[in-house]
Amino acid sequence: MTGAELVVKLLTEHGVHSVFGYPGGAIMPIYDALYQSPVKHYLCRHEQGGGFSAIGYARASGQTGVCLATSGPGATNLITALADALLDSVPVVAITGQVSQAVAGTDAFQEVDVLGLSLTCTKHSFYVRDVADLADTLREAFALAQSGRPGPVLVDIPKDVQLAPVDYQPLHLTATSAAPELSQFAEKIAAARTLLQQAKKPMAYIGGGVHMADALPELNAFLTATGMPSVTTLKAMGSVEKTNPLYLGMLGMHGTQAANLAVQQTDLLVCLGARFDDRVTGNLKKFAPEAKVIHIDIDPAEINKLRFAEVAMLGDLKALLPAMTVAGDYSAWKTHCATLKQQHGWRYDHPGERIYAPLLLKQLSERMPDNSVVSCDVGQHQMWVAQHMRFNSPRNHLSSGGLGTMGFGLPAAIGAKISRPQDTSVLVTGDGSFMMNVQELATIKRFRLPVKIIVIDNQRLGMVKQWQQLFFAGRYSETDLSDNPDFVSLAAAFAIPGHSISHKDEVESALDAMFSWPGPYLLHVRIDETDNVWPLVPPGAANHDMMTDLPQWEE
Amino acid sequence: MSAQHTLTIQTRHEAVAVERLLQVTRYRGFTLAGLELKPLADVSGLLITLSVVSDKPISLLVNQLNKLYDVLNLELHQAEAGALRA
Repeated sequence: MTGAELVVKLLTEHGVHSVFGYPGGAIMPIYDALYQSPVKHYLCRHEQGGGFSAIGYARASGQTGVCLATSGPGATNLITALADALLDSVPVVAITGQVSQAVAGTDAFQEVDVLGLSLTCTKHSFYVRDVADLADTLREAFALAQSGRPGPVLVDIPKDVQLAPVDYQPLHLTATSAAPELSQFAEKIAAARTLLQQAKKPMAYIGGGVHMADALPELNAFLTATGMPSVTTLKAMGSVEKTNPLYLGMLGMHGTQAANLAVQQTDLLVCLGARFDDRVTGNLKKFAPEAKVIHIDIDPAEINKLRFAEVAMLGDLKALLPAMTVAGDYSAWKTHCATLKQQHGWRYDHPGERIYAPLLLKQLSERMPDNSVVSCDVGQHQMWVAQHMRFNSPRNHLSSGGLGTMGFGLPAAIGAKISRPQDTSVLVTGDGSFMMNVQELATIKRFRLPVKIIVIDNQRLGMVKQWQQLFFAGRYSETDLSDNPDFVSLAAAFAIPGHSISHKDEVESALDAMFSWPGPYLLHVRIDETDNVWPLVPPGAANHDMMTDLPQWEE
Repeated sequence: MSAQHTLTIQTRHEAVAVERLLQVTRYRGFTLAGLELKPLADVSGLLITLSVVSDKPISLLVNQLNKLYDVLNLELHQAEAGALRA
């Protein structure tokens, strides 16, 4: 077989049934090998769309996402998606074609140094010089993408390597290394248990590393057994069971008031698979100022990077959480947290007849089928989704957290639908973000993917506009999008039906119509451009110094 | 206060290993103060001596470099606290 055929063979060897990409000159042998192969290729309409679809596929399923692109512009178009996957720890393998080695380094047509470009936004990038190394390199790429802290890996394959003859040697499974013995953590586990017993006001700060370690049952058992209140990062939403009364929601810049106030008061912060991101901590020096820290993570570079931990463990949360479970007497603290949650509940009785996005999203959350996957883009709508929708798994909430990439949502929703065809895929996007990868409507059309699209339209780059209003004296530089296209007509051009609403009494029937329609659907929702996201921790402030527009109280 | 640190790093015999070391050093806020490179005697890898200056804890850089695919071994040799400026 050829190197290109070997690539397809190795994809099947790794259980890859679906890949996302866009063909071009330097990757044509691989596309020829894909033709009539068992691997289903989803043609996206831009390589960035292919990259984000691979991320959506991976995040919704827990499997490795695979994307393909040709050399030069095809590969450079993948870069943003690779950076997104790196910052959110998503296992992705990107395969790029490269010009033949005979012309490499000559500034050949569509030649660019993809290896050099991609190194800083992948766990590692490989350039395959010899077809004899191709199988080992691809196997290493898949292993690396999934191991430890997951992330993207790129394999750049020159065209001559794709065309070269090679034999396929099946993978001989070798004994995998045993998981580290829990006994090596005995001292630290004992120290953690002591801190938990001494604490009066502990708080679990839960990040995306918990579900990526497949440790959600252990997490919820830990929370139940200890009686500890909890908060989550954006990426960990859905980790805590909905029935847990002491879950206070998301913390950070747009977190709930209860979460932020409680974290500022805690005396023991139990950080699980999280990384003290600046959107979480606000002013780092003022973050949880009275707290000792227990930090458990799989990435050694995150320990003591931003916040010193009195007890730090580099290991498997699935094993460590049960081992450090110990009940404490937190009754007064639990009552206090419950009171905070009650005092600062969300308010939905927005005046007027216009649609209030938080209420719309609450209604959406209540009406969408169980186990729906909600993808969103970046901006005000993204924060409203995090605040006002509830999820029963982090795999049901796909949001670009670390990189904050506008344009993420539509292709991610496509990838989610392909990875979990039995579940409903919902996209909540903004009028700014939607236009950044709007060409992927053609992918929905081509594969008849029943993705439900909700465009929340304030005719502005809303989050930037909000900051201009608050911190730049109302100088609205380049955030007016009032010349947006007619989104329903735009969808119709891709054979996607839609409807536009602007009054709150239209919402429920519109949501019902969207979910009852068997195919893709676009619901265009006009909202007031003056609506902002609250609360907000201003730049440089501590998390207890939140700006609030309206008091929040119990629903 | 800035300090100078010297690291001895064994990597795979790949040019990309050197690229990554320098990228990470720059990106994580460490200033390059010296770089020596030679192949191992059996040409199986590269032996790199990297000197850096920063007011940040050297552990931040060591932890990041240790994660690199091509880094096989890393030793921190000395830390000279002083009035060095980054």
